Amino acid sequence: MSNTRPVPPMPRISLRSESAAAIVVFAVLALLPLMMGGYVIYVLPQYLIYGVLAMSLGMLWGYAGILSFGQAAFFALGAYAMGLAMKAGFGAGDGYLGLLAAIVVGAGLAFLVGYFLFSAGVRDIYFVLITLALSIMVQQIAISQSSLTGGFNGMYIPRMDLALGPLGRVSLAHDRAIYYLVLPVTVAIYAGLRRLTRSDFGKVLVGIRENEGRTLSLGFDTSWYKTIAFTISGAVACFAGALYGAHAEFVSPSLASVAFSTEVVIWVAIGGRQSLLGALLGGLGVAALSNYLDGLSPVFWQLILGGIFVAVIIAFKGGIAGALGRLVARKDDAHG
Amino acid sequence: MTHETVFHAILSLAIQGTLITFVYALAALGLAVVFGLIGVINMAHGAMITLGAYFTWACLSAGLPFGLAVLVAVAGVGLVGLIVEHALIRHFYDKPFETLLLTWGLFLILTELIKIAFGSDIRTIPTPLPSAIAFLGFHIPEYEALVALLSAALLGAIGLVFYKTSYGIKIRALTQNREVAGLLGLNVAATYKIVFVAGAMLAGLAGALMSPILSIDPTIGNIYLVRSFFVVIVGGIGQLLGGTLAGSFLIGGSQTIFGAFSSQVIAQTIVFALAIVVLRFRPTGVFKEK
Amino acid sequence: MAEFLRISKLTKHFRGLVANEDVDFTLGSGDVRCIIGPNGAGKTTFISMISGHVVPTSGRIAFKGRDITPMSVPGRARLGIGRKFQTPSVFDNLTVAENIELASIGKHAEGADRRARMGEVLQLTRLEAFASKPALTLSHGQRQWLEIGMLLANRAELLLLDEPTAGMSAEETHATAALIKTLAAEFGIAIVIIEHDINFIRDLGAPVTVLHLGRVLMEGDFAAVSENDDVRNVYLGGEWEC
Repeated sequence: MSNTRPVPPMPRISLRSESAAAIVVFAVLALLPLMMGGYVIYVLPQYLIYGVLAMSLGMLWGYAGILSFGQAAFFALGAYAMGLAMKAGFGAGDGYLGLLAAIVVGAGLAFLVGYFLFSAGVRDIYFVLITLALSIMVQQIAISQSSLTGGFNGMYIPRMDLALGPLGRVSLAHDRAIYYLVLPVTVAIYAGLRRLTRSDFGKVLVGIRENEGRTLSLGFDTSWYKTIAFTISGAVACFAGALYGAHAEFVSPSLASVAFSTEVVIWVAIGGRQSLLGALLGGLGVAALSNYLDGLSPVFWQLILGGIFVAVIIAFKGGIAGALGRLVARKDDAHG
Repeated sequence: MTHETVFHAILSLAIQGTLITFVYALAALGLAVVFGLIGVINMAHGAMITLGAYFTWACLSAGLPFGLAVLVAVAGVGLVGLIVEHALIRHFYDKPFETLLLTWGLFLILTELIKIAFGSDIRTIPTPLPSAIAFLGFHIPEYEALVALLSAALLGAIGLVFYKTSYGIKIRALTQNREVAGLLGLNVAATYKIVFVAGAMLAGLAGALMSPILSIDPTIGNIYLVRSFFVVIVGGIGQLLGGTLAGSFLIGGSQTIFGAFSSQVIAQTIVFALAIVVLRFRPTGVFKEK
Repeated sequence: MAEFLRISKLTKHFRGLVANEDVDFTLGSGDVRCIIGPNGAGKTTFISMISGHVVPTSGRIAFKGRDITPMSVPGRARLGIGRKFQTPSVFDNLTVAENIELASIGKHAEGADRRARMGEVLQLTRLEAFASKPALTLSHGQRQWLEIGMLLANRAELLLLDEPTAGMSAEETHATAALIKTLAAEFGIAIVIIEHDINFIRDLGAPVTVLHLGRVLMEGDFAAVSENDDVRNVYLGGEWEC
């Protein structure tokens, strides 16, 4: 049996073209501040951060098949962690403390909730509704603990500095400065999650999504895989929240609302749940569009968004990225 | 503390707990029927409750008497349910995850339509029965007592339909086994439609009857979605009567008790956390025998 | 040396109904065994207890000298127990190659080793031409083979095959018997097969265990079992039909 031919690595058209697309997108984003300024550069980091939040769900939903309506809970927790760290007054390292605390809190909470539920076989709609309850709980705690969080009125967060040890510190007060912090962080998280989804770990997650019983019978402790996927997702969402707090300089309980949780799901559904770039651009694009159209006609835009969401669920399961991927595949077929 | 005051406090909690139990049961009933019988978790349930409340408000504003307003609200939400079922849901019954997302999209659309039609301002409806019943030194608001009674009567009526009438028993058989239901001469598609619309009407009824107790805003139903879901799963899915009542009692009762010691917000949070713990250890509900 | 698979007094009651009662069963490494018996004889429950999908009421299962009775499904799979389900359970939306690769994770490191193993498995299961096709597009028989292929990629040392020839043509059934013989003889894989197809069992030429009402009725080679009066009585009027 030693003379059998090894299987050639599989041609993955969509993967290759996604990498190319990602390089183009990030290059454009990197050059943008050189060409324009003003409001666009001020607001873009916020949309990038939304994109990171969307990727935290894209990884979980698109690969492991676990839908969470609680991403906003983690996001809000991260923003509060940043706010509390900046308020604590530890000096130069406050911002780092905030970012680190967010990762620890996000990963810790997600691990506890994930392990607690997945090990008992809680799944699908039950998990969705529990994560929805998680958002409501975080929001209510944020409202009620007003001495700590500022309650309904929210909490102002001084923007962090980038302390670089002996090199001194870089102020992030300038729009371009924080832009060039948020963008590489976004790229790094995209690359990290991308690597994760293409690793053996990611392949097992896909196995769980496709057929959990089979995956279990092949020797994978699926509840652990799901717990770890949720932990990573929670850490990323919470970290994104801390960045958001630093950028927006403000956090309020509405960040943990059902409405915001829902938005995250919509971004990912529209962008494409099985493509991290799709999720990222879904977050960035839909949030930007929402902001713009909200100004014109808030109510009707939300209505249209709801309609698009329903249409995506019915007809375009892969979202925009999925539709483009199919298009590229068809074109390649025609050429080959 | 004297014995009387302790007794008085406990009795007060008991009365509050009873009222809240039946209000929660009322709110959860539509979800329980749809989830328990056809396995669809209607994420738009909360929005349907909200819609019921707004329809009632609109009818009252148009000068209709309260009772008629409630009936119009029930019919209106039922009609919305029928349209949605016919246009969308019926194509996705065998895909629970898709129905979840679809009904969630529906929730978004309904909420926005409510905002367009009624605005985002808080609306209030004066209580149709402003007086209170004196009972052992307590004043129980007459209207809340009436809602509790109606809720109990509704539970009884639904019990009669599903456990005593042959059509109801057939519908329950459908939940167990679709093929058997076909043998029983049950039109599966029509039955699903009836159950979904009945669930929508029950949500509309809950919103209508609760409207004088609530301050109505377009998101008032959100919390009732999660609450109702916990009521249904803590009580046990498919345990239409006992489950809904037991779940309401546990969720509402514990909220009353925790609310006595802390703020309502904290009480709500604790109850949600407890419900999650219960769900983890008894995924089939507290009382369901395995 | 401890026996490869030793099962003693294995019993399973479902709410008072007896599925298996005091089943003793041993298997050596590289042995093939067919399990037959009328519907309700407890065949699937029996192999489900070996794979860990059903928890026994009492009794003991030892695999490679180790008591695995309390072990979870994935734990047993990692030890080398592979289960093929009655209805093939594969990853429908993934390609055949992806199915095989998923099964090889943890057993074969990414890279040349894994690709070589995948190639070998695809050849053995005659699925080379379908490597990049979604599992959904395979015929029922091919899906059975794919599931067996996944167990091979998963380095199973004991295969539990629940009706592996269901939905197969005569030619495919024959090829399956040949594959099973190859796996046992050349790779030393032990295989337990639940089957109804009498031609297949004859073709395989392996010892047969007859289960009836949850108990072992008899064990022996095919000829002895098919001549046995008790076995004939169990199969209504001596007919080999289930």
